[in-house]
Amino acid sequence: MRRKGSSETISPQDVSGKILGYMEERFGLGPELFSPYRMYLASKGRVYLGPRNVPDMPKIATIGLLIARVNGAVKPSTNLLQIMGKHVEKNAVELEKQQALDFAKGQDVRLAPAQLATLRDGYVLMRYNAEPLGCGFLRLGAVKNMLPKAKRLPLRFI
Amino acid sequence: MTGQAESIPAPFRARYCPLVDDENAFLASLSRLLPKAFRINTLKSTREDVSERFAGYGIGLATVPWYEDAFVCDNPEAGFSLEHFTGAIYMQELVSMLPPLLIRDILPGARMVLDGCAAPGSKTTQLAALMGNRGTIIANDVSYSRIRALKFNLEKVGALNTVITNRDLMAFPDMDFDAVIIDAPCSAEGTIRKNWEVFDTWSARGVQTYARVQKQLIVKGFDLLAPGGTMVYSTCTFAPEENEAVVDELLKSRPDAKLEPIAIDGLKTSGTVESWDGAEFDPETRKAVRIWPHHNDTGGFFLAKVKK
Repeated sequence: MRRKGSSETISPQDVSGKILGYMEERFGLGPELFSPYRMYLASKGRVYLGPRNVPDMPKIATIGLLIARVNGAVKPSTNLLQIMGKHVEKNAVELEKQQALDFAKGQDVRLAPAQLATLRDGYVLMRYNAEPLGCGFLRLGAVKNMLPKAKRLPLRFI
Repeated sequence: MTGQAESIPAPFRARYCPLVDDENAFLASLSRLLPKAFRINTLKSTREDVSERFAGYGIGLATVPWYEDAFVCDNPEAGFSLEHFTGAIYMQELVSMLPPLLIRDILPGARMVLDGCAAPGSKTTQLAALMGNRGTIIANDVSYSRIRALKFNLEKVGALNTVITNRDLMAFPDMDFDAVIIDAPCSAEGTIRKNWEVFDTWSARGVQTYARVQKQLIVKGFDLLAPGGTMVYSTCTFAPEENEAVVDELLKSRPDAKLEPIAIDGLKTSGTVESWDGAEFDPETRKAVRIWPHHNDTGGFFLAKVKK
């Protein structure tokens, strides 16, 4: 893991291990999904997953994609859960059509008891018809919408 | 967007009608709206899955004879589909899909690829898909304001193998890319079918300003290639000053630059302009191709494939 910027108190090596541990424990995402890439730590605990081979050159704006924020706890990004969502084995919510429509346009979603059965409170993958939609935060039977505003969309065909 | 063939400026007709095989078909095509198209993002989905889902929505898709992952879809509602939301599809004009296609055979094993004028990211996202998210793409754009759109689109498709840089390509350090794409800023005459306003500011003199920059970009793009590497130079304009003359300039200043013939099954391409404004272009430039709007119902385009 390379360091980008210098405002962090946590070491880059620690962050990489912490993220891999979290992804496996929370979502069943194995380290082999991450191993073709490298993690890059930016300011404010933002972690990017990008190519292993990055030339040493000035004016780099972004390497790879934002996959998580680490400020004490790990907060996965919608980017990551969309990319690796098909490999997620646990803490994924299978949504009904109306719930998926609500989630895509940015609303929070209340889950039915049957949907909650296998879930633990914390970050969850929102899925519809096996398609990964993005990240939510489950607490007390409801999912808080974590989709970035720019990605929200009033869907008409799902 | 209510353009009629009659309102096409006379100097524009005078420049380009002599270059085409069928003047009436050419002018008529410019007045027709461009069909909307998208590309399957193979990092997230497959053409079979998307076709099946769109059939379920009752939205018609037409296949494209020269690219198995492209579809024409004239329903504007496609932008409100789940597939657009998840990044399973990427809205992109058909001819804009051509530059990465010309190097698709070398992309899966490529180590380092440059998209020199990358924003808003249509070609970068396609490169990432054709590379299977492996290797490294440097996606550069000189314009800071356009970087945001580039970033958004790379996130949308899940392009992990990318590095965004924001600088003047002319200031790039020496590097060895396996492939370089220079989809140059241009006078955009070929986009008239989706943007009739091109005619509002169009002038034969305007193309000269672009041509000066393009000549620098093509030479720099070539210099950034590793030996054996391949560059694709493209524009979405008809002006020979921005196309054949730019390639001619490269051949003059870099004698080791060689053009490769271009053939894409199912796509009708046309020969280049051999002389313009009293000047004869290097015969090697004839390996480049033009794509006229009336031949494949697309925008206008120019492509040259250069080998080092």
